[in-house]
Amino acid sequence: MSASAVFVLDLKGKPLISRNYKGDASMAEIDHFMPLLMQKEEEGALTPLLTHGKVHFLWIKHTNLYLVATTMKNANASLVYSFLYKVVEVFSEYFKELEEESIRDNFVVIYELLDELMDFGFPQTTDSKILQEYITQQGNKLETGKSHVPPTVTNAVSWRSEGIKYKKNEVFIDVIESVNLLVNTNGSVLLSEIVGTIKLKTFLSGMPELRLGLNDRMLFELTGRGKNKSVELEDVKFHQCVRLSRFDNDRTISFIPPDGDFELMSYRLNTQVKPLIWIESVIEKFSHSRVEIMVKAKGQFKKQSVANGVEISVPVPSDADSPKFKTSVGSAKYMPEKNIVIWSIKSFPGGKEFLMRAHFGLPSVEKEEVEGRPPIAVRFEIPYFTVSGIQVRYMKIIEKSGYQALPWVRYITQSGDYQLRTQ
Amino acid sequence: MPHWGTDDAVAELRRALSNRHAQADRLRFRNVLLRVIRRMAQGADVSGVFAEMVKAGATRDVVQKKLVYWYMGTYAALQPGLALLAVNTLRKDCSDPSPAVRGLALRSLCGLRMPGIQEYIQQPILNGLRDKASYVRRVAVLGCAKMQKLQGDTEVDGVLVNELYSLLRDQDPIVVVNCLRALEEILRREGGVVINKPIAHHLLKRMSDLDQWGQSEVLAFLLRYKPRSEEELFDILSLLDGSLKSNSPSVVMAATKLFLVLAKDFPQVQTDVLVRVKGPLLAACSSESRELCFAALCHVRQILGSLPGHFSSYYKKFFCSYSEPHYIKSQKMEVLCELVNDENVQQVLEELKSYCTDVSAELAQGAIFAIAVVQAFRDLVWLCPQCTEAVCQALPSCEEAMQDSEGKQALIWLLGVHGERVPSAPYVLEDFVENVRSETFPAVKMELLTALVRLFLFRPAECQDILGRLLYYCIEEETDMVVRDRGLFYYRLLQAGVEEAKRVLCSPKSDPSLGLLEDQAERPVNKWASEFNTLVPVYGKACWAIVTANWAMEPRCGGFHCAAPMTAGTESLISEGNKEVLQVHSDSAGLTLIPKAHLTAEQFEKTWLSLDVNCQQALPWRGAAHPDTIQTALQVVHIQTIAMSKAGAQPWKAYLSAQDESGCLFLTELVLETENSEMQVSVKQSEERTEALQYFISVLRTVMGTVLGLKS
Repeated sequence: MSASAVFVLDLKGKPLISRNYKGDASMAEIDHFMPLLMQKEEEGALTPLLTHGKVHFLWIKHTNLYLVATTMKNANASLVYSFLYKVVEVFSEYFKELEEESIRDNFVVIYELLDELMDFGFPQTTDSKILQEYITQQGNKLETGKSHVPPTVTNAVSWRSEGIKYKKNEVFIDVIESVNLLVNTNGSVLLSEIVGTIKLKTFLSGMPELRLGLNDRMLFELTGRGKNKSVELEDVKFHQCVRLSRFDNDRTISFIPPDGDFELMSYRLNTQVKPLIWIESVIEKFSHSRVEIMVKAKGQFKKQSVANGVEISVPVPSDADSPKFKTSVGSAKYMPEKNIVIWSIKSFPGGKEFLMRAHFGLPSVEKEEVEGRPPIAVRFEIPYFTVSGIQVRYMKIIEKSGYQALPWVRYITQSGDYQLRTQ
Repeated sequence: MPHWGTDDAVAELRRALSNRHAQADRLRFRNVLLRVIRRMAQGADVSGVFAEMVKAGATRDVVQKKLVYWYMGTYAALQPGLALLAVNTLRKDCSDPSPAVRGLALRSLCGLRMPGIQEYIQQPILNGLRDKASYVRRVAVLGCAKMQKLQGDTEVDGVLVNELYSLLRDQDPIVVVNCLRALEEILRREGGVVINKPIAHHLLKRMSDLDQWGQSEVLAFLLRYKPRSEEELFDILSLLDGSLKSNSPSVVMAATKLFLVLAKDFPQVQTDVLVRVKGPLLAACSSESRELCFAALCHVRQILGSLPGHFSSYYKKFFCSYSEPHYIKSQKMEVLCELVNDENVQQVLEELKSYCTDVSAELAQGAIFAIAVVQAFRDLVWLCPQCTEAVCQALPSCEEAMQDSEGKQALIWLLGVHGERVPSAPYVLEDFVENVRSETFPAVKMELLTALVRLFLFRPAECQDILGRLLYYCIEEETDMVVRDRGLFYYRLLQAGVEEAKRVLCSPKSDPSLGLLEDQAERPVNKWASEFNTLVPVYGKACWAIVTANWAMEPRCGGFHCAAPMTAGTESLISEGNKEVLQVHSDSAGLTLIPKAHLTAEQFEKTWLSLDVNCQQALPWRGAAHPDTIQTALQVVHIQTIAMSKAGAQPWKAYLSAQDESGCLFLTELVLETENSEMQVSVKQSEERTEALQYFISVLRTVMGTVLGLKS
């Protein structure tokens, strides 16, 4: 990829911190970034790739910051964007919130990190656990239960250092399924998919060998266990530590894990499932006087399960005023800055149906500009439950020192991009 | 508090840095250093304390060292004399017992961009390459590339290059990838790092040890390797199979490209690969990162160029979400339009229709968005006539969103062509006629004229009065001559009778974008495989050509005979003076093309197909090709034009033939892919004579250069 430099800019385009990796492009080129961005935005032609002369700017926006990589080469765009997101991820691990303020407060750590993440425009070690060995400043976060780590002399694998030691050896496994849903105004489901991820948090000493067993349909068929209670995974993707050849051969998921948090694998399921929370809404607008909103929410999942932290955001006109609410359960709150009403329900048992009514006043003078029709968005979390029925059957941990390690498993289903269009 | 960077502040810092008490207290001293660095980060000039900072570098404290080294990296170029003092400390640290310090010192040393530094860094780098810590070796390997860059044009150090090649076998995966990167930079003049069979197979073996950055880059380096046999090729493809399913989009993209390029002679394999990356690409298209999603969508469009309908069964994945940024919505819409087939046309249209009234955060964006939708509608009508009905029903809902001339044109065009099925068409057009006086774009008026005349032919009763008003306006009041001429033309055409007018106006080929659409279909994969996973598809090929057009021009114009730009109108073609210039060139070149060597098209085709290309070159070019000018210019030097595309065709092509005194034929193909890029020239020769070929090329260059000069 070869980036010339990496910049962190504030919202006005002023560089907060920068690192000139290659010295082939003038650092002053960044002054063209913001005017170019504004010009393109005005033309409605803004894209995450901008070019001034021979310098390409590939940029992402995070909170109130722009992260910009400049390059003179015809680079691989996905690689550059992935790297910038990695930078965000690493920074965030060092100081919780990555934003203008934290950049100013932590510029020494940032210098250190930028130094180690990339050299001469090429990504180097980006694993935050391994990076830690070279960072002298204490980040505000990054708690660790492990004892001293000797500097890496030679890594057998790039994602794990040798000589890691924990008093208590444990693995936490999170199976998370996100439901993406798009429902059209007429109530027909346009899009429904499940994106599953298995995330691990490992506190393991030495170089452990792990093996994960799932109720994978292909595996069950291979071993002649029939289709019972198995799940057909599509589009499975693994962290690079997983030995792909073994998976292809006999569907075994075996690996030496990185230390700490990482995403072991992801999969998708395209099978259509009943939307877990179904919303029916009537938004009636009486010009010059009022808006009446009626929202009905129904939990279409098993009675034993409970959805937590349910938040249903319903759009309201931007000139609405004097809100009045009535809910059968939970509470409704008007967020004028976002032009929505949020109806929150702390716990929503399966099979139940709830109702919210809202009433808004409208000014007698109608405003001129046309408004869009934002969708109703729903957020929720259902613990101890996966839509797909995926299960961790076992997790074997073998290390040459022979210690016993405990695996902990947690299942959760949550809303991803869950939207229902409104009339 | 003193102002940043003023002399006072620097003096204050200097005092603090030389304070003995502060020096004795490590934490206190570190704070002073932090203040220096903070000011440096804020862009203030604190180079005034360089000497003090050099002294501060001689410490055992790693934190302090780091701070001092950053400082030096920034200011060394400004204070080369003093920086040499620091070099000693750095060199000493390069043999510190701690690998972290050695690596840090070596990286800082190589990062001092100042003249004369090379002689000081060479030895530490060589030591670093053999260091037992991988961390130091990584730094040293890239240090080699930095050193080469500092040296500029000097010769490449063969010993060093060999050392780097042998380090490709290093245990540490990052050292391996860094070696490739460094060699690529060092050997740039010779075409970069050489990937031979042992190296290629070694890299393939190490693939699984590499992280996503390493994998992506190694996959790109492997593009250079040509497998010796079909068997080897398929071995490589099966070894890399896992990369197609990587969880990193950049690895998937890089692997796809490698597969497509390696399998360039096996279209079936290419198709198979594209089928298998469908899943990963779709996943990337709904990635949480908008930028990755955007890049993936651009590549999906590129694939669709060769495999129309490739993602058809997944068309719903390309439905827009309310909060997506404009650049993603517009890409998705483009994709949707290409995925339309008999089965999903109704749903796609319903979806597009709902976007017409999408007013996102900004009204401007919403308007442009709607325009894009209508243009998409128009394209749909061309691509699948069976969906016209549905489009017509959707039309009335979007006329209000039109703001911009292109959108208006598209809408007017649609109403003209399919107006007989849109009940309200005459009334929508009437609105445009009422406002024609305030319309600023002549193109919109022209479109309106055509549309209304056409609609009049089908619905005379409703349109007669409106058309009359429009024609009156165009002929009597309009100041733009082109519009007025068009008005007069239609007036006279209508005088010639309705049947005659119908014959002229109702042939469906009047839309210029049709040609583009037809050309886009089924571009062979090999045409774009080499551009896959670069910035080209992200920009779109045409935009990329514009962005890069100026770069190509600058360096090449030097060695190229550019005739002085003529101010004479291009219509009068070539003046006598220029003819002489061309004549002189072709004669003095030692090659005489005979004037009366006429080849028929059939003879040409036969000969062309029987010969191999002897020479392929790119000539700088900008703008469209003017066939008449080029043909006349070529005639002057006795190059006969066999066939030529019309002006504005894309790609524009021409076939030329010439014969010299000895009877040797020169057959030439000119191809101009997009405007503002280069013109590709391929020459075939009936007898292989290199010298004559070179003369011929130089004649051709001169002619085309002159034509280019005439245009500007």
